[in-house]
Amino acid sequence: MPSARLAAVAALIERLVATIGRSVMWCLLAMVALQVTVVLMRYVFGLGSIWLSEAIVYAHGTLFMSAAAWTLQQGAHVRVDVFYADASPRVRALIDLAGAVFLLLPFVIVLAWVSIPYVARSWAILERSPEASGLPLVFLLKTMIPAFAVLLCLQGIAQAIRALLVLAGRAPGEAGH
Amino acid sequence: MGLPELLAVLLVVAVCALLMVGYPVAFTLGGAALAIAVLGDAVGAMRFSLLGALPPRVFGVMTNEVLLAIPLFVLMGVMLERSRIAEDLLEAMGRLFGTLTGGLAISVTLVGVLLAAAKGVVGATVVTMGLITLPAMIRHGYNPRLAAGTVAATATLAQIMPPATVLVLLGDQLNIAYQAAQLAQGKFAPDQVSVSDLFAGAIVPALTLVALYLAFQIAVAVLRPAACPAIPPAADAIGGAALARRLIEVLVAPVGLIVVVLGSILGGLATPTEAAGVGAFGAILLTARKVAAKKSAPALGAAVAVIAVLVLRAFVDLRVGRAGGGVATTAAIALAVVLLGVAAYGTVAAVVAIGRAGVLAPVLATTTNVTAMIFAILIGATMFSLVFRGLGGDDMVQHALANLPGGTGGAILTVMIAMFLLGFVMDAFEIIFVVVPIVAPALLTMPGVDPIWLGVMMAVNLQTSYLHPPLGPTLFYLRGVAPPQIKTLDIYVGVIPFVLIQFALLAALWFWPGLASALPHALAGH
Repeated sequence: MPSARLAAVAALIERLVATIGRSVMWCLLAMVALQVTVVLMRYVFGLGSIWLSEAIVYAHGTLFMSAAAWTLQQGAHVRVDVFYADASPRVRALIDLAGAVFLLLPFVIVLAWVSIPYVARSWAILERSPEASGLPLVFLLKTMIPAFAVLLCLQGIAQAIRALLVLAGRAPGEAGH
Repeated sequence: MGLPELLAVLLVVAVCALLMVGYPVAFTLGGAALAIAVLGDAVGAMRFSLLGALPPRVFGVMTNEVLLAIPLFVLMGVMLERSRIAEDLLEAMGRLFGTLTGGLAISVTLVGVLLAAAKGVVGATVVTMGLITLPAMIRHGYNPRLAAGTVAATATLAQIMPPATVLVLLGDQLNIAYQAAQLAQGKFAPDQVSVSDLFAGAIVPALTLVALYLAFQIAVAVLRPAACPAIPPAADAIGGAALARRLIEVLVAPVGLIVVVLGSILGGLATPTEAAGVGAFGAILLTARKVAAKKSAPALGAAVAVIAVLVLRAFVDLRVGRAGGGVATTAAIALAVVLLGVAAYGTVAAVVAIGRAGVLAPVLATTTNVTAMIFAILIGATMFSLVFRGLGGDDMVQHALANLPGGTGGAILTVMIAMFLLGFVMDAFEIIFVVVPIVAPALLTMPGVDPIWLGVMMAVNLQTSYLHPPLGPTLFYLRGVAPPQIKTLDIYVGVIPFVLIQFALLAALWFWPGLASALPHALAGH
């Protein structure tokens, strides 16, 4: 039955996206620990560390770039609720399907496409921080841009499948998916 | 109007129409802008290759150090919410003021101010406040309109009470616009406007609002005491010293945390990001004490150790590698290191305790989702701005604003009204990311416009719009959690006095800009 196979694909994508989201959320604790360390080092001991300061930026970038797709899955991206909030499950599914196919997917595919040369240039020279004592991993941080796009693309496909199943009467409608 | 400008207008119209449909804002912005870019390339109005500028812009968002404060402030707020500090505060305040006529409303307002300062996200504050306080006020015979108005108005304070998330984002966008405006005027060493300036600018107006809310509630208590009856003392009433002790117990920690965070920013000791990190750290320790009351020693130990280091630093210069430090200095440094080791151990134990209590993972998940939501909108808005500018839309807006009747005043008034109307349907985040970058550079090139004042005006304006019937989003949030005795009409009528107070404040800010700009300029003066 094709709808069962589609549902399995959606479930697989959702598991992957959720696993990544639940893993990177720990970056928050790293950010707090690093930030407090930086403050204490500077304020108490008069020491500065570009390495530590940049690590906070890396944790932050990794956090929201990798978790954006999971946030979509959780239905936590803000919507204008004037119409959507009171719509029936079928209408919501229609909005989600059209939104994923005509708005989200084209946007993230183009973002991934234009970021390839940008990221490739960075990888080619294994780009380092502009600061001499900074982290030498700028090329990895820049790779988060296509990663953001690819994860959102996958989750967009899952969202479209879920909406299709609702429209086909194969699944109960549920907000956010 | 040429073809590119026509497309720029079409882009705005398309985005507004598509947003109404209800797909997530971030991707609606990005997708609509992409469609217009394809169209523009096809008819020769812009080049598609312009989108090559997108990845560096996104990377700029990722590495923006001002915006690091966002997840840290959100974490602090969510953590404090889960530690049920709001409930404790309200209970203690109710005991203190509740037996007076109108006392419960006043307690709710005061708790709301603390919560607003700690949380900084409006929707969350309305829901928490509504769930905790509305049933209590109704049960004690309060007029439903007064109760609903009090909760709605107080909750929107989260929009302007520093360290509000909205002010961080607005400060960042205004600074970018201010730099652009000055460069356009040929000033190559431009002044900055910082998030700290905006915090300082927002404090006096925010506290003025609170004072006016309280004045209104006291007036109601005097003129119509039946609307807000006194609560009979509880059976387990405590008085005098016991009440004072209870109050100190629940007040000291959250108030202390807010004072440290705000004080260090306003005093110029710390950047908002640094203060946010310390605030989140403090919230973790507080939560550990609350949720794992039996094993609160590590959290307490960590807090005491950090404070001890700060006290030590006040007496001894601990800077490492400074010439002329004697044995005493070395010993003090060693002591500080040991104390910080204790603090690190205590913090790890506290985090583990919060995790065991089942609180940590939900807090991190919520914070992650809120952060990703905000930054996804910022990325979508980046795409929108790129295309809008590629089509010359920003020049068009600048011309239109410069040629309005009424000069600078007319231009600012027009922008304020537009933002007010947009506020009915869009979040403050979207307005800040989409509208501010377009209009602020134009407004800031006009003579005599203070960026701090402009930012505070925008923030108060958005807050008013958030509260204004019939479309203010706060009212929808509140309707969702209000008990059945409170009708939608009660909410609408109940907020009217508070909305009038908001308008009075906006008028006051318009005629006395010093209300917003005096404090930040005084702080910057020394």
